[in-house]
Amino acid sequence: MASFFSDPVALSRMQFAMTAIFHMLWPVLTTGMAIYLIVIEGLWLKTRNIDYYHHARFWSKLYVLNFGIGVATGLPMAFQFGLNWAPFSESVGDFFGTVLGFEGTMAFMLEASFLGIMLFGWNRVPPPIHYLATILVAFGANLSTFWILSANSWLQTPAGGIFVDGKFVVQDYFKAIANPFMVNSFLHMFFATFETSLFVIGGISAWFLINKRNPNLFSKSLKVALATLLVVAPLQVFIGHLSAEQVYHYQPTKLAAMEAQWETVPAEARADWSLLALPNDKAEKNDFEIKVPGALSYLLELKPKLTEPVLGLKEWAPEDRPHMVGLVYYSFRTMIAIGMFLAALAVFTAFQWLRGNLVESEITNNKWLLRAWIFSAPLGYIAVEAGWIVRCVGRQPWIVYGELRTVESASNLPPGEILFSFSGLMLMYSVLFVAMLFFGSRIIRKGPNVDLPEPTVQLPRLVKAQHEPDSRPAEAQQ
Amino acid sequence: METSLDPLAKFLPQVWFFILGLFLFLYVLLDGFDLGVGILSLTSGSEERRGILMTSLGNVWDANETWLVLMGGSLFGAFPLAYATILNALYLPAVVMVVGLILRAVSFEFRENADNKLVWNITFGVGSFLAALGQGFALGSVFEGITVDADGHFAGGIFDWLTWRSVVVALTLIQAYVLVGSTYLILKTTGELQATHYKTAKLAAWTTLAGAVFITVSTPVFSEQLREHLLEPPLLYIFGIIPILGSVLVGLLLRSLYREEENTPIIWTFMLFALSFIGLGFVIFPQIIPPSVTIYEAAAAPSSLVFMLTFIGFLIPILLFYNIYNYIVFRGKIADENYGEV
Repeated sequence: MASFFSDPVALSRMQFAMTAIFHMLWPVLTTGMAIYLIVIEGLWLKTRNIDYYHHARFWSKLYVLNFGIGVATGLPMAFQFGLNWAPFSESVGDFFGTVLGFEGTMAFMLEASFLGIMLFGWNRVPPPIHYLATILVAFGANLSTFWILSANSWLQTPAGGIFVDGKFVVQDYFKAIANPFMVNSFLHMFFATFETSLFVIGGISAWFLINKRNPNLFSKSLKVALATLLVVAPLQVFIGHLSAEQVYHYQPTKLAAMEAQWETVPAEARADWSLLALPNDKAEKNDFEIKVPGALSYLLELKPKLTEPVLGLKEWAPEDRPHMVGLVYYSFRTMIAIGMFLAALAVFTAFQWLRGNLVESEITNNKWLLRAWIFSAPLGYIAVEAGWIVRCVGRQPWIVYGELRTVESASNLPPGEILFSFSGLMLMYSVLFVAMLFFGSRIIRKGPNVDLPEPTVQLPRLVKAQHEPDSRPAEAQQ
Repeated sequence: METSLDPLAKFLPQVWFFILGLFLFLYVLLDGFDLGVGILSLTSGSEERRGILMTSLGNVWDANETWLVLMGGSLFGAFPLAYATILNALYLPAVVMVVGLILRAVSFEFRENADNKLVWNITFGVGSFLAALGQGFALGSVFEGITVDADGHFAGGIFDWLTWRSVVVALTLIQAYVLVGSTYLILKTTGELQATHYKTAKLAAWTTLAGAVFITVSTPVFSEQLREHLLEPPLLYIFGIIPILGSVLVGLLLRSLYREEENTPIIWTFMLFALSFIGLGFVIFPQIIPPSVTIYEAAAAPSSLVFMLTFIGFLIPILLFYNIYNYIVFRGKIADENYGEV
């Protein structure tokens, strides 16, 4: 432990992990919910059913609560590369910094600027402009996901240039941006934020339904979420599978850690899938293990026997492979279990819908189903965090896979300085986390304001602007 | 070294120096009034007034703060060495700034939903103050210089940024933020509240002026490096002109404040900010890590700068356009706390 507190690399890693894990909690909801808000506002504009307007107002309260803290906790992320990872920043700045600059200018500014209109502009701009603001907020948020995932994928599968004396020289920017992991990683994260948000919306709606509060309103949001999830949740499982296959091809050390596979499974052999294990880093084996025979061969290649070997961790020297194998292994399994469970819940609920159990008179009686939805509300977050742990802890000991080591990338700062920022941020984040839960649940408990009148002020004005010459005589008569 | 550079390799870093300057200027201007309003809220005794102060920022603070993210990302891409070395040197002020910005950002929504609003008013004010303080020390280090080794890596101590002169710079910046915050509130409020901020604006105008004069006069006296730089011809003329223009603008600002004009004080203040910023730009250029690393040494590869310029360059007018549109939508006085419902 003493060595941990005096090791700037370990401290910087812990600080980055802590700030990243905490930051991740908020944009997940804002990026996903932004798309839902487009749908809801679109339904309102199309049907002019005021319920949808009340929905938009209610969910955007939760949205902005998350957005504020998302912006704020993003700042340490934007500066930490320079603060704690100066050699890394210098080495890969030509590409990595460029992408972060793009994220700020193209995506983040769009979201931040139009958010004001989306939240406070209901009575200040006509509905089409407001709708455009909502769309731009969602577009900006998801474009952020794209750039961040492109940058992170590049750390996993660097492309588009070469390392010369430890400095990355870009040869082709588009190749670097569209590196091998980029498409799947972006899609996986895009659907992760969307799915998590929909389950949060579904879970909160279920809570209102089980308490018989505004059932008319919240059966609508549950159904909109469910209908979307029916596509999103299974698709996410499939994209996750594609991502794992890519790891198999591009990052064998990570795959070995994900599967706690110490020994190599040669080609033409049957690979078992480990269901439960107790990995032991020191002994280089699993102290205990339950396996599903042959399942890994099917998962990776859809064949009973592999054509390519699955390399075991012992193929690499200890300094060339990830540690904390148990963390990677169980994070991976947690993510998969949640992904499967959520997809199954969506499909099961859809059957209930077909059977007519979700009509307004019946829906509040499905207590166990609604409880399952409430239980599912936080699961997406856990899956997302677990997935990122697999992705980034599994990438170790590399910061840029195969090219740049994490230990060579940390700033040589006095440990006390890092300890100061780490403990300060940790303390503040703990307080903020509790405060977020408190205020979030308060917004939910308070519920939607169903007395809020539609923003009709602007509609006549818009119509009036179009028919101005006609209205003049009428005014003159008054 | 500079003579061996071809014109493009010289021109591109200059363009990026200008763009980063623009981002930083917009940040200082916009988040400046934002932070200034936050600091002013600490002096407020009434819940209603604090509410109005925070409401006046509700729709703009996040976009204003985003200019800093833009600056950070673009600095990382365009001058990776500077991004790494400067943040290393300014580790503690940067952390204080970030902590301050987080505190004030969350205060908006927490206050909105809280029963005990005072707690979040205080975090808002204190957060704004800490953010301004951190930025002030960062600015101070421009005058103090950052110690680097032959490769341009930070080679100083963790408290290098803390000297009595950087304290003066930090306090002056805080005063300047209070000034621009006051003029923003003059623009956005009426009645008694507006009258209060005429007073704070006048006070802050004088204290900022005192600090600015002190910094301007003391810099050539205390900094050998900058003295040589400043007292040679092209810069010598510029430093003849800037104080004259500055005095004129200060005069116009004070006149508008004493005449209780509503819209002009913020304009004169913005122009004073611009003038100081241009002056600062001339002091630093062509350095990016004062006093020893130039933009040419710290720049990313030319292909990188071109690539970034292609995508970010054409976006700048669009960014400005929709930011201005946002201000137009929310123009006018703040009636009460319910900004969104009116």
